[in-house]
Amino acid sequence: MMNSDLQALITTLEMAALTTIILLIIGTPLAWYLAKMTSRFKVIIEAVVALPLVLPPTVLGFYLLIAFSPEYLPGQLWQQATGQQLAFSFSAIVIGSVLYSLPFVVQPLQKAFEQLGDSLLEAGALLGAGPIDRFFSIVLPLTKASFITAASLGFAHTVGEFGVILMIGGNIPGETRVLSIALFDHVEAFDYARAHLLSISLLITSMVLLAAIYWLNLPKKTAVRI
Amino acid sequence: MTNFPINNPPISHSPVNNAALNSRPNNKAPQLDLNIRVNYQQFDLAIELAIPLIGITGIFGHSASGKSTLLRAIAGLETSLRGEITLTDTSLPSKTLVSRTLVNSEQGLYLKPEQRQVGLVFQNSRLFAHLTVLGNLEYAVKRCKNNRLSLDEVIKLTELGALLDHRVNQLSGGQQQRVALARAILAEPKLLLLDEPLSALDRHSKTQLLKMMLNIQKQLSLPMLYVSHSLDELQQVCDNLLVLAEGKVVNFGNIHQVIHQLNNDTNSDIIHQQTSLSLPIKTFNNGHGLTALALNAHEDIFMVCDQTFAQQTQLRCFILASDISIILTEPTNSSIVNHLFGTIKQINHQQNNVLLTVHCGSQDFFVTISAFSQQKLSLTIRQQVYLQFKASAVRTFIH
Repeated sequence: MMNSDLQALITTLEMAALTTIILLIIGTPLAWYLAKMTSRFKVIIEAVVALPLVLPPTVLGFYLLIAFSPEYLPGQLWQQATGQQLAFSFSAIVIGSVLYSLPFVVQPLQKAFEQLGDSLLEAGALLGAGPIDRFFSIVLPLTKASFITAASLGFAHTVGEFGVILMIGGNIPGETRVLSIALFDHVEAFDYARAHLLSISLLITSMVLLAAIYWLNLPKKTAVRI
Repeated sequence: MTNFPINNPPISHSPVNNAALNSRPNNKAPQLDLNIRVNYQQFDLAIELAIPLIGITGIFGHSASGKSTLLRAIAGLETSLRGEITLTDTSLPSKTLVSRTLVNSEQGLYLKPEQRQVGLVFQNSRLFAHLTVLGNLEYAVKRCKNNRLSLDEVIKLTELGALLDHRVNQLSGGQQQRVALARAILAEPKLLLLDEPLSALDRHSKTQLLKMMLNIQKQLSLPMLYVSHSLDELQQVCDNLLVLAEGKVVNFGNIHQVIHQLNNDTNSDIIHQQTSLSLPIKTFNNGHGLTALALNAHEDIFMVCDQTFAQQTQLRCFILASDISIILTEPTNSSIVNHLFGTIKQINHQQNNVLLTVHCGSQDFFVTISAFSQQKLSLTIRQQVYLQFKASAVRTFIH
């Protein structure tokens, strides 16, 4: 693997890791809120969260590009706060990835929280556990597998991202040039040997990651009995 | 407050409590004051009642009578509640009475379940599957502020010593409920609520858990509210009984009196009509396999002897009204061992049957006979008759 490809790999891993951490931090409360919500606005929030599943990534990327540009408020605020332009930066592709991979983290967590139900949380409360305590002592251990699934799917999906990054990140080596973009470059330059190398390594990595997720989610003997 | 008359202090399982009952209603006894409403589309609960926190208080009624909703309201799990709940209990170690408002919807006060110091054992044990038996017990211990109870003592009381390392989903239903009971106790609640904890268990586990509950209540002086749809279970362990129907209080008072009042409730088929008794054991075994219970200074009742009676001085028992028959002269040549002389106090016609209330000594007995027999014997009020019933008709749930 050439130096530029290695750099793209490092950028990709950094982006995916940071995105996954941010997604777990904001996705967990969002999934909890959706799981417990009974209002009719629930479907609207669910639809917004699921939107990246059906929307062409370029559509999301296009609107993000506009929002991130210094002419519009989000881009302006960012520039005032950091002194740097948001569009075509590493931060931009992380924000884009967070939005793009949101359903892959929120949906498995929401499903797990819904399945867990309230009965064990009520039992915990009556034993003196407050809400934060209940989350860490009951919810987290009993939905561990779903957290692993959510994190792995979020990570894998971010690694495989192309359209959004192309629109808002451009192709800056060491900043926004990720593996999928590097691959596209090689193909455009008819360098099929390097394209093959990148493709096969991405394919195998994704395969291994998905197999690991499904293995973790095999039905266990110690299923939750409520 | 609706105060239902409690004429006789109940025969209590804990000696201190009779005094507490007598000092009512000056509000200086441990008690739970309820004035609550819960409204759902299909169902309304409206309860205004002061429950003395004595021994075990039973809560009885049909399904959908509001039993579970009431417990959930007290525990803090019913968020659509309006009204007021105040818990007055003895605070240790000063032994002074302290009133705590759990809910006051007018003042916007609503204590969260974790702040109420009220325990609840559910019908399904709701154990934490990611923890062992010991892990479940320690979960409560870690979050308990007082730590007056020792873990070992509770493990001994609930006979869990051999199961501590087991995963909770390896346990039988009865074992799971024992863990749930131990876990609830270890949180050191001021009041323990039990929501049909035995309903999914077999008979053997039921009696074992009932005995355990009684023992724990006595040892720890922990007041309990016990919801059940089985009057047999409640009759064995409760001091007072609250009867609910359609979200309202139908009756509240001493367990035996309330059961006897239910006998005459014509529009209800919710119980087997019976005479409910708490009697001292006079002779454990008379040499012929019978136990003698002292009905009063002069008269005994005989029942079939059971080994477990040997450790007891007092026995809860009941005689179904259909198991007693009436005879006009004293039966001297009968295999039936129990004969009591009494006076007919009340005659209540119910379809083809007649429910007689017969006063014997100081105790009312309830007898159902056919309308045919009543006419044949031309029984009237104030008539003197003999009751007779077999030793095997004197029943007890725990044995």
